[in-house]
Amino acid sequence: MPENNTSEKDRDNVIVDVKNLNFYYGSYHLLKNINLYFKKNSVCTLLGPSGCGKSTFLRTLNRMNDYTEGSKLTGEVLINGKNIYDRSVDVVELRRDIGMVFQNPNPFPKSIFDNVAFGLKIHGIKDKDFIVERVEKCLKYSALYDQVKDKLNKPALSLSGGQQQRLCIARAIATNPSILLMDEPTAYLDPISTSVILDLINSFKKYYTVIVASHNIQQAGRISDYSGFFLDGELIEFSEAGSFFTRPKDKRTEDFITSRY
Amino acid sequence: MEKTTDIRDDDEHMAAFPINRGYLKRKKIYNGIAALFAVIAFIIGSFPVFHIIYEAIAVGHQYLNWNFVSTLPTGFPIGAKGGMLNAIIGDVYLIVISSTLAIPLGIGTGLYLSLFGKKRTNGILRLLNELMLGIPSVVWGIVGFYIFSTNAGPGFHLGFSALAGGLTLGFIMTPIITLLTEQAVNHIPASYVEGALAMGATKWQATEAVIVKAAMGGIFIGILLGVMNIIGQTAPLLFTNYYNTGLPTGITGSGGAVGDMAMLIFIYIHEPSKILHYKAEAASVVLLLFILIIDLGLRLISYLTKRFIL
Ligand SMILES: Nc1ncnc2c1ncn2[C@@H]1O[C@H](COP(=O)(O)OP(=O)(O)O)[C@@H](O)[C@H]1O
Ligand SMILES: [Mg+2]
Repeated sequence: MPENNTSEKDRDNVIVDVKNLNFYYGSYHLLKNINLYFKKNSVCTLLGPSGCGKSTFLRTLNRMNDYTEGSKLTGEVLINGKNIYDRSVDVVELRRDIGMVFQNPNPFPKSIFDNVAFGLKIHGIKDKDFIVERVEKCLKYSALYDQVKDKLNKPALSLSGGQQQRLCIARAIATNPSILLMDEPTAYLDPISTSVILDLINSFKKYYTVIVASHNIQQAGRISDYSGFFLDGELIEFSEAGSFFTRPKDKRTEDFITSRY
Repeated sequence: MEKTTDIRDDDEHMAAFPINRGYLKRKKIYNGIAALFAVIAFIIGSFPVFHIIYEAIAVGHQYLNWNFVSTLPTGFPIGAKGGMLNAIIGDVYLIVISSTLAIPLGIGTGLYLSLFGKKRTNGILRLLNELMLGIPSVVWGIVGFYIFSTNAGPGFHLGFSALAGGLTLGFIMTPIITLLTEQAVNHIPASYVEGALAMGATKWQATEAVIVKAAMGGIFIGILLGVMNIIGQTAPLLFTNYYNTGLPTGITGSGGAVGDMAMLIFIYIHEPSKILHYKAEAASVVLLLFILIIDLGLRLISYLTKRFIL
């Protein structure tokens, strides 16, 4: 058993608690007995080379893997103490509380405004003034408002890659989730856009628990409160960022951190 | 530029490869030949269309006037005098009836196939759809006759009527729309759907708000192809509607049959009268214009829905 997580004593403020999680694509046992927890209002980065299972793990937290035919999951994911894989859990409600940002910016082929308003509308909010106000606020939070305020009705796909990703962030926070999952959100962006988004993530922990998958150690170093290292579907190490980056316990973590990826 | 950042400057890293000038020259020639073939193919392919239009106008031009499209056929044999209003109105009936069946059914099946169904049932449904596409239209006519028209046995007993004919044409239209809808949806990046689902959209919300809009162009092409296809059909109508030289008084039973442009041409061409032959040619010009108007009309609707509704 890898030594996961910080010590057992500071378990207060745990929001996501993953217990003995195993995940299979058909007969391929990808995620192997993952145990870790995430704390409220922190930024956690999950590092690892590509193919190690970061995306799959993130997607177990909002049940996006439900749609993958032939996949199987055992173990528990407790969010605020409730197992999200319980029969009684409504995935629609679950996902309202968990925003997700993908590796490829994927705004809908709609206007900028409608992209951000989408989350509100699908959850039944009809009050126009509220929607307008909320859209504006989310665009401000995601540092996009000044650039788009005069063209809210223009197609989202006319924005640059970095702007599209920030729009996706605005869209994800519109429903005021408590958890934000980000799957290599800067992987396809230029250095300046990347920097803007890393700053955003830092500012977000005031409101959200942010869980970021990344294979970039420097970027992760800039934003992490906690970090974990995945290798071949195993969680090798998970600890506070300070010790994770400077005094990794596992040799494999150290190799990953010190090698130049 | 720093030397090591550009592999072309780094002799150690990779050897330069010799440039094949001959090949570079030839590939331009190949490109030219391909372009020439495209032009020739276009000319050969479009020749019949232009020829038909030329021929039809040359022979039928004397009847190409407002009177021809705005009056009912009269005289003896019927059609020797008057126009073809019965057929134009009849086609409108048939298009409306067949579309009412085929558009929801075709889009629904297409969406189901691409988004909702299970692998196994989808395979069977897809196969059935392809079979339907391959069924000759005369067979549809017979099927339509037994289901809708005949007054004997089980069935809807609709007689030779616009409803029977339109629904039969709807059967022909449906698999075309299904196919094009499924294709259109399959070409939408999966990330749109994921994006919507991850926000807590239900599958239907994701479909309606994101997919249908993104696939709209393809779905419209499906509707367009479907409508174009049925406008040209005669065989299915032979057994379900046949032809009415006047205007219908209803859409079922006696008096429910309608005229139809393709049927008009088919019937007139089989008459011995020269006048009717000329009128058949004139009617085919009208049919082409009708198709053109429908095409432009649907495109306009498509544009307007995209622009203002979705
Ligand atoms: N839908 C799927 N079916 C089968 N295997 C998959 C599927 N998605 C991902 N995998 C496999 O699971 C492994 C981990 O993928 P992923 O979670 O995307 O890793 P990462 O995000 O760390 O790059 C890879 O080997 C990948 O090929
Ligand atoms: Mg990934």
